[in-house]
Amino acid sequence: MIDISQLAKKFAVENPKKLSEQEKKDPRLKGRFFHSVENVSFHCSSGEVLGLLGPNGAGKTTTLRMLSTALTPDAGDIIIDGTNVVKTPVLARKMIGFLSGSTGLYGRLTGRENIAYFGQLHGMSAEQIDRKITELADLLDLHSFLDRRCENFSTGMKQKTAIARAVVHDPKVVILDEPTTGLDIMAAQTVLNFIKGLKDKGVPVIFSTHHLDEVSELCDRVTVIHHGKTHFSDTFEAFKAQSDGSLHKAFMRIIEQGAK
Amino acid sequence: MWMVMLKEIKELLRDRKTLFFMIALPILVFPLLIGIAIFFMSKAVDKAENKVLNYAVIGAQYAPALAEQLSASEMFNEVLINVDDDIKAYVKAEKADFVLVIPDNFSDDALASGQIKLQLYLNDAGLNMVRKRLDKIVEGFAQASKTKAFASLGLNEEQQVALMDPIVIEKVDVADKRENWGEKIGGMIPYFIFMLCLQGAMIPATDLGAGEKERGTLETLLISPIERHHLVLGKFLTIAFAGVTSALITVSSMAVWGMVLSQGMAFKVVAEFMSAIGAIDFILMFFMLVPVVAIFSAVLLSLSIYARSFKEAQGYMTPLVFAVIIPVIFATLPGVELKGGWAWVPLTNVALAIKELIKGTMDYFQLVAIFSSTALIAAGLLFFCVYWFNKEKVLFR
Repeated sequence: MIDISQLAKKFAVENPKKLSEQEKKDPRLKGRFFHSVENVSFHCSSGEVLGLLGPNGAGKTTTLRMLSTALTPDAGDIIIDGTNVVKTPVLARKMIGFLSGSTGLYGRLTGRENIAYFGQLHGMSAEQIDRKITELADLLDLHSFLDRRCENFSTGMKQKTAIARAVVHDPKVVILDEPTTGLDIMAAQTVLNFIKGLKDKGVPVIFSTHHLDEVSELCDRVTVIHHGKTHFSDTFEAFKAQSDGSLHKAFMRIIEQGAK
Repeated sequence: MWMVMLKEIKELLRDRKTLFFMIALPILVFPLLIGIAIFFMSKAVDKAENKVLNYAVIGAQYAPALAEQLSASEMFNEVLINVDDDIKAYVKAEKADFVLVIPDNFSDDALASGQIKLQLYLNDAGLNMVRKRLDKIVEGFAQASKTKAFASLGLNEEQQVALMDPIVIEKVDVADKRENWGEKIGGMIPYFIFMLCLQGAMIPATDLGAGEKERGTLETLLISPIERHHLVLGKFLTIAFAGVTSALITVSSMAVWGMVLSQGMAFKVVAEFMSAIGAIDFILMFFMLVPVVAIFSAVLLSLSIYARSFKEAQGYMTPLVFAVIIPVIFATLPGVELKGGWAWVPLTNVALAIKELIKGTMDYFQLVAIFSSTALIAAGLLFFCVYWFNKEKVLFR
């Protein structure tokens, strides 16, 4: 169970003259600050998958970074199973498995070493790590390349290894930032199957995406954010009901309504 | 913290580029380059020594004996010059390696003729053996002239010696060999070691900060449940370790190659010098280096984590080299001693202290003060580094 309420984050603009025309028109630019996220709230219960939608620059990544404790919010609260993430980030980190959009691996370490390193950082014993890696390798089909150096991995292999690394410590919540972007269909399907597996285990998953077919395949809940504000946060059925038939139209409609 | 350090070291050891710069370069490439340079230099000297020099003489009729000796020498080959030729142009046109002009007062009777001035025209810009060979021949004539003059004056041997050098200053050096050598090379040693430590730490530092950012591993690392200062310390220790290792490797490789090249000859001098220094001073020198390396590592890590990419990090680090060179160069300047203001200049004071330790004239109480002040700076910079690692503005630029 994860509850996010009224999250806000602003960044200081170092040189306002350098901003592009589009950025200058953005209503979130106020004086010397860019309010990337102004008011985002949503919640996700056990066994639910939440799809975070929004145009580029809407504040999705900033929101997810705050969830992952990489950024500290200026306002608002994040509660995971009663633990306040904002107030006790180190404690919360043990509960969160996070895969960022631009994640990478240590190229000179093997896939196994990459995963094991993060297991160690999470305080797991060598035995626990071994067991978990075998389990994840079965699940994500990593065996063929697990003991090779990551620098030669394909994008799909890298992404699968990165996912294994993100969940090595059995997190209570999994947050994925555009996990299927740039993957081929096979690799993307492995990732989606993995998310399903987490759902079946009752682990709440929050992931951002631009692919609405993934949303319809997996998501129980949908949250749409635009210009740093939650414009929609409800069940998938309610999202679908915004327009008859087409998810794309539903999305567009929510964005347009918000703009008014 | 140790986990982070172990992983970083493991990664470093698997990086060919780092290994090349840290190990292959000092052990093989530098000595090889120096060896090649020495080889070509000795070849050039050899060539100059064996070259037969073309020469011309003007006024040979005033000194037939000298002219004859010149032409008899295997190392000289006479060419003819017209009396009305411009001598400078002649030499510049490389028609002869040198032209010797003998004045009309040339004789073997110095008392009658006065001082004789031979004019030597040559292009002295390059490596040449003209003076060396000419001096050898002319010296004979000068000696003969001297002997003759002394004989005609009726001077005994003692008087002759006195007349040659009426007053001589005899130097009695109270500095022992160690102090003497220490003063001469003691300034250079910290300079080399500082630079080596800095260079050795630079590549891993780029990799551990900016490298994590560029590869996209930083975010994942930041959200792992490890305290931020442990993370920084792990990285910091790796960089410091790399710096010290690289410096040690280079120094020992220089020592070994020096021994091999000089076939043990120079080794005796070095060994004598080294044994005079003593173990305690060596250990103290090493201890003095610890806070210096810590300063380097903290600054490098801070710069590296601020940079968005490898390239940016390297850009930030280049000026740092100059910032380190300048205070250390002060320590090599003659007259700069560990007194007054200089004792309070960071890095300069450590370099001076190492110099004093080598010379064996260190005031050990002062050493404590220098160590503590440097350690304080290092601790301050390390704190800054941890603070820096907590700034979102730095991490997510």
